[in-house]
Amino acid sequence: MVDSGFGNKVISLIGVGKSYRSYTRDIDRALEILTGKVRHYQYDALQPLSLQVAKGEVIGVVGKNGAGKSTLLKLLAGTLQPSSGQLEINGRVSAILELGASFHPEMTGHDNVYLTCAIQGLSRQETAAAYEAIVNFAGIGEFMQRPVKTYSSGMVMRLAFAIATHVDPDILIIDEALSVGDGVFARRSFDRIMEFRQAGKTIFFCSHSLYQVEALCDRVLWLDGGRVRAEGAPAKVITAYGDFLQQESAIVQPPLVTATAEAASTATTVATPVAAQAVPRVMAVKVRVDGTEARVHAVQSGKSRIEVEVRFLSVAALPVPSVGLVILGGDGRYVASMGTVNDGIALRAGADLTGSVMVTLPDFPLLKGCYVIEVYLLCEQGLHIYERVRQVAELNVEQRGLELGIVTLPHQWQVL
Amino acid sequence: MTFLLRLLRLCADSLSIPLLAPVKHRALVRMLVQREIASRTSGTALGRLWPLLQPALQILGFWFLFAVVYDMRNVRGPGFAQYMLLSMLPWLCFSEVLVRATGLFREFSPLFTRSRFPLEVLPTMALVMPMLVYTPVLVLTAMWLLGLVAALKAVVVIPLLLVWTLPLVLLCAVAGLFVRDFGQALPFVLTLLMYLTPILYFPDMLPAGMRIWLWLNPMSDWMLLIHAWLNGGVLPLESVARLLALWLLLLVPCWLWFRRTELHVRELL
Repeated sequence: MVDSGFGNKVISLIGVGKSYRSYTRDIDRALEILTGKVRHYQYDALQPLSLQVAKGEVIGVVGKNGAGKSTLLKLLAGTLQPSSGQLEINGRVSAILELGASFHPEMTGHDNVYLTCAIQGLSRQETAAAYEAIVNFAGIGEFMQRPVKTYSSGMVMRLAFAIATHVDPDILIIDEALSVGDGVFARRSFDRIMEFRQAGKTIFFCSHSLYQVEALCDRVLWLDGGRVRAEGAPAKVITAYGDFLQQESAIVQPPLVTATAEAASTATTVATPVAAQAVPRVMAVKVRVDGTEARVHAVQSGKSRIEVEVRFLSVAALPVPSVGLVILGGDGRYVASMGTVNDGIALRAGADLTGSVMVTLPDFPLLKGCYVIEVYLLCEQGLHIYERVRQVAELNVEQRGLELGIVTLPHQWQVL
Repeated sequence: MTFLLRLLRLCADSLSIPLLAPVKHRALVRMLVQREIASRTSGTALGRLWPLLQPALQILGFWFLFAVVYDMRNVRGPGFAQYMLLSMLPWLCFSEVLVRATGLFREFSPLFTRSRFPLEVLPTMALVMPMLVYTPVLVLTAMWLLGLVAALKAVVVIPLLLVWTLPLVLLCAVAGLFVRDFGQALPFVLTLLMYLTPILYFPDMLPAGMRIWLWLNPMSDWMLLIHAWLNGGVLPLESVARLLALWLLLLVPCWLWFRRTELHVRELL
């Protein structure tokens, strides 16, 4: 059993497991309930797991599809019951799992707020107290007296997210996305989740975005085949999980995969109309190799100088964004990444809200192979993605020597 | 001793949890009733009047048939049409509740499979809407046929009948979930049961050899009780005792069955 060392525990799992039962006939299930005699076959979705989570901890859950992540989250959210063990939760749980699932299309937004809050266990008075904040956050005040069936899918998601995060949960369960919707609302929803973190709420965050898990979580749980494969400090577990994925020859997602908007995949220059500007956008990306600008480059390993220039448009109401750059191998694995936040570089925007930054890679150290560059425009904390520009350049690296591997490390020989 | 304590606790839970669920989860029950009304009446011109109009119009139809067409108003004392109408409403309510109970889990599965929904509220949801619909209709019918005193007495008839129906609701909900044929067969069984219940005839009109059915059928006790209560007669204590005993006898195992099902329904649906 893993003990967090924190005093006030809000989640306690002692040998909690989940098995799904399979019956040949429906009647067998009824007979088993009546008689107590086992008439099913079962498979284990989650092996007995013990875990103690303290108030204010942010727990990350990683693992391949079918590892048991969703089962664990559903057990915590209360939509599944454990088959074995003891599960204790102290506090109100709110889950960002299937947003809007409890909405009834014929009911108004107003009534759906009250219905969803009632399911969460809130009284009418508590719901009334939270109502204004929910409506203001969702930003759909004028639609609240209309049936939800007249809402766009984005409006449904905004309202559902607003409810989930305004019922004053003690424990927040997030499956995959740190933000919902797009544009301004995506940023607001991300900020809302960060507020929970800063307020010392307990967060369970399940994601394939290893970068975000490592950046946000205090502890990470790696599930594999329904068992805990590793548990502990994010850097340690994420590294082990990354190695595992490589060994498995799995297709590894790039570190930043939850882009909220994507620019054209083939152009190196991206233009965004200023009138449509609601969140920071990438205006242009230029990639130069030895002074030549193009999309596909021939690169000399150890010799070529690569410059990536990113021009962006900021928004007055938001802090100046940050920029990240990822180099991917031909098989989709990330080979290297760099970001202004990580390197302590603060970007500036001018009076016209535009700004530029350039990163230089002298004596390009990667060995022969095909690589692509992706650029990210992120929030000032380097976590929330405003825009992802795929394949801004393709680098076909050639080398003269016979070195093996993917990179030449700085080195010196000394004959002794 | 431990077994006895467990049994006592089970009995207490069986009585308290389903009966107190509407109080404990009143905000949720209220919103689920609104949800149901919205589902049933959305887009209609008469809106929320429809749930009340349906049984009321049904009763008017029966009145037209038996009182006007067959002219049975003055058959035997208080009148057959009056007897039949005041029997038919509780029966319609009873049968509607049971038929709905067979699909209860499937009806609410979008809620309890995706959110932390208290399953103990489900039996309430099978009962509360019929109670809200049939109580005023029965009160108005009693007022029309028997006067103000009977109307006031009629207020408690449907709620009491529905509380008594609770174990059967639990039973039908689970059976309807696991045995699909049950839901298909139940309307037919209820029609048969209606013919074996003194609704369309006075109890003494049943041939002597068949009167054992009146004793075996608890709904016959209900009919005796309802008419004695509304007409100011002496309450048949034997019927009261039998109904109460049957209710207590059924509630514990039915509740236990329902609770054991909880683990399965979230996986099954």
